[in-house]
Amino acid sequence: MASRKEVTPAAIGVLAGYAELTLAPDREEVIHATLEAWIKDANELSRKMSAEKYRDLIPATVFSHAVDTEEGG
Amino acid sequence: MDKAAAELLELSLAQAARLVKSREISPVDLVGASLDRIKAVDKRLSAYITVFEDEARKVAKAAETMIMAGHDLGPLHGIPIALKDNLAVKGFRTTAGSKVLKDWIPDHDATVTERLRRAGSIFVGKLNMHEFAWGGTSDNPHYGAVRNPWHTERFPAGSSGGSGVAVAARMCYGAIGTDTGGSIRLPSAINGVVGIRPTYGRVSNYGIIPLAWSMDTAGPMTRTVEDCAIMFNAIAGHDPKDASTSRAPVVDYADALNRGVKGLRIGVVPGYFFHHLQPPVRDAVKGGLKTLEGLGAEVVDVNIENIHGNISAQLTIEAAEPSTYHQRWLREQPENYGADVRSLLEIGEMLLATHYLQAQRYRTLLRQEFLEAFKKVDVFICPTLPFTATKVGAMKVVIENGVEEDMLSAIMQFTGVPSLTGLPSLNVPCGFDPDGLPVGMQIIGRPFDEAFLFRIGAAFQSATDFHKRAPDL
Repeated sequence: MASRKEVTPAAIGVLAGYAELTLAPDREEVIHATLEAWIKDANELSRKMSAEKYRDLIPATVFSHAVDTEEGG
Repeated sequence: MDKAAAELLELSLAQAARLVKSREISPVDLVGASLDRIKAVDKRLSAYITVFEDEARKVAKAAETMIMAGHDLGPLHGIPIALKDNLAVKGFRTTAGSKVLKDWIPDHDATVTERLRRAGSIFVGKLNMHEFAWGGTSDNPHYGAVRNPWHTERFPAGSSGGSGVAVAARMCYGAIGTDTGGSIRLPSAINGVVGIRPTYGRVSNYGIIPLAWSMDTAGPMTRTVEDCAIMFNAIAGHDPKDASTSRAPVVDYADALNRGVKGLRIGVVPGYFFHHLQPPVRDAVKGGLKTLEGLGAEVVDVNIENIHGNISAQLTIEAAEPSTYHQRWLREQPENYGADVRSLLEIGEMLLATHYLQAQRYRTLLRQEFLEAFKKVDVFICPTLPFTATKVGAMKVVIENGVEEDMLSAIMQFTGVPSLTGLPSLNVPCGFDPDGLPVGMQIIGRPFDEAFLFRIGAAFQSATDFHKRAPDL
């Protein structure tokens, strides 16, 4: 039995359902390996960025209202 | 092709522009030579999706009449230019390399299109690309796999593969590419041409089909650094139609090209910049650094503590943002996407919002570290990518020890850093591997310091001849 941490084709089917994305029958298998690898790396980055020393960092996409400064918005 | 036309094609953009201005050559001859070259070689390369044969000839005739009457439209008067097919051109099909947009005819120009037109460019066609710019091979299932002019069984990289090939194969004097995770710099390196990813917000994205809004940029690809600076002069600057563009002042980007690199401090990140590379790439880029040292520059080791992790951040953002843009089409017509892009768009729907936002927080961290490091050095130089051109259709690449790696992650090893930090970066050809395939080096600069990157690139090209070599087609 797969552990809850594993990204299985069946789990992909569930995720697609949450996103209201209808996947053709073979699609879970096609994207499985890549998605699993990307989620593993993304979780590692999330752990790193959750460290106390980075608590005050804000995402790069936040509005800066700096359009008239040297570096722009 | 006759000798005179072949000689015209070997002129740089800057040389051609000077000769048009002095009325020694005609835009009609320049456009004719480019169109003849496209006819002669593009069946083998698939760099163009659409060629504007009749339109370009008509505009060239008008450009000739105007220059003979003393009316100079600008620094690109009469110069044949080609555009990646994700830039809108009013009244002409713009596909973004996709079947989804196969019949889309925009009713407006992209700002870059409009500014090049205003500077006197003549558009000879729209260039093939990785579908919707989401990938680095330009192996396009709808309009043909783009092929490398240095070896037609090898790939041209991407996503602006057609742009790199068209410039290297002398099918135009300059091209526009777009760059989210490396899509200007990668095909520039792999095809042996110059290409700049501008500072984020320096060039307008209005009228360009987006890939990932928070990282998208557009920039020129040419054979020489001087040509690149001339094209950049035409397109850089604030655009009221694109809120992400900056009001930071523009300068004459071709003005400082001859000032040299004496005293330049070049940063190298130990354990990252020359790690995990094919040996010919390492040798060529180290040779490039030696050349710059010989011109008076100094190489300094600078640690960037959190540089590892950049590829995951890049992939997460590049997955989530396109999947948002494509959400409706992916549900209505998934069969109209190529297999790889369809998979990437599906994957992007399944990453968590927290993954995306942690990646965006990582960007802030990485940018802060680079801005701090720029107190010690003026630029960073590294390889543009860790390998030379692989076979067309390859999805895996071997970099070292015979281990096969996923192409998409491997190709972003170095280009992801400027994409995430918003910093400008310039690819300059710096050598060839034993198979005669080009190698490029990436010069990364401070925000809005593109003029300085052009100055370094021009100094390098004044001391080397890699940019003067032509593929044998």
